[in-house]
Amino acid sequence: MKNEVREYRRIRELSQADLAEGLGVSRQTIIAIENGRYSPSLPLAFRIAHYFEVPVETMFDPSEEAEA
Amino acid sequence: MNMKNKHARLIAPLSTLAVGTTIAVAVRIGHRWSDAIATEVVVVLFAVGYYLLTGTKSDIGAIYGQREDERQRHVVMKASRFAMIVMFGVTFVIALIMVAANKTYWQEDVIASVGGVSYFLALLANGAHDEDATGDDRGIMATDSVTGVDQKNNVRPPM
Repeated sequence: MKNEVREYRRIRELSQADLAEGLGVSRQTIIAIENGRYSPSLPLAFRIAHYFEVPVETMFDPSEEAEA
Repeated sequence: MNMKNKHARLIAPLSTLAVGTTIAVAVRIGHRWSDAIATEVVVVLFAVGYYLLTGTKSDIGAIYGQREDERQRHVVMKASRFAMIVMFGVTFVIALIMVAANKTYWQEDVIASVGGVSYFLALLANGAHDEDATGDDRGIMATDSVTGVDQKNNVRPPM
């Protein structure tokens, strides 16, 4: 599933560690999500979207496969 | 690191120490003091190793340190499934050998060891590694193509 996490994180000038701490997950999980190797659960997907104050469908696009 | 995480990190090593010491006591009952001491030394080394492992920022460190997140729990499930399959396989092979050799022994230690090693290897294989990290810079400002989207321009830092 393609997502915009990396782009939004960079706009906010956040490191992966900052975002991981803000979401209560590990940095490795942020890396895996950004690289499209892990699709987050629905609660985490909503947490990410809320964190960046965008709709979840803006953050995640289930119709597209992520570039690994 | 808060106190809860600090204590969580001690669970795996202390459990190892407790179980291992029980085994060492059993060894002392059935064997010599030197055997029991050697067993306890190995147990302490394992416990220290566990403690050091739980302090790392890797997936394995988080899992053994009882602070795993949802993806790491998923890794645990995959590793458990793999270890289970391997243990079934080994059990089957040992059963075949038993029947062929017309013996009635049962190598529980082999099955358990292979299962444990498989689990650990599966954790390593399925876990994320730091070398996968990309873009952990302190925020490269967005390019025009990104900021061109209205919703992204409206992004504000969380309160």
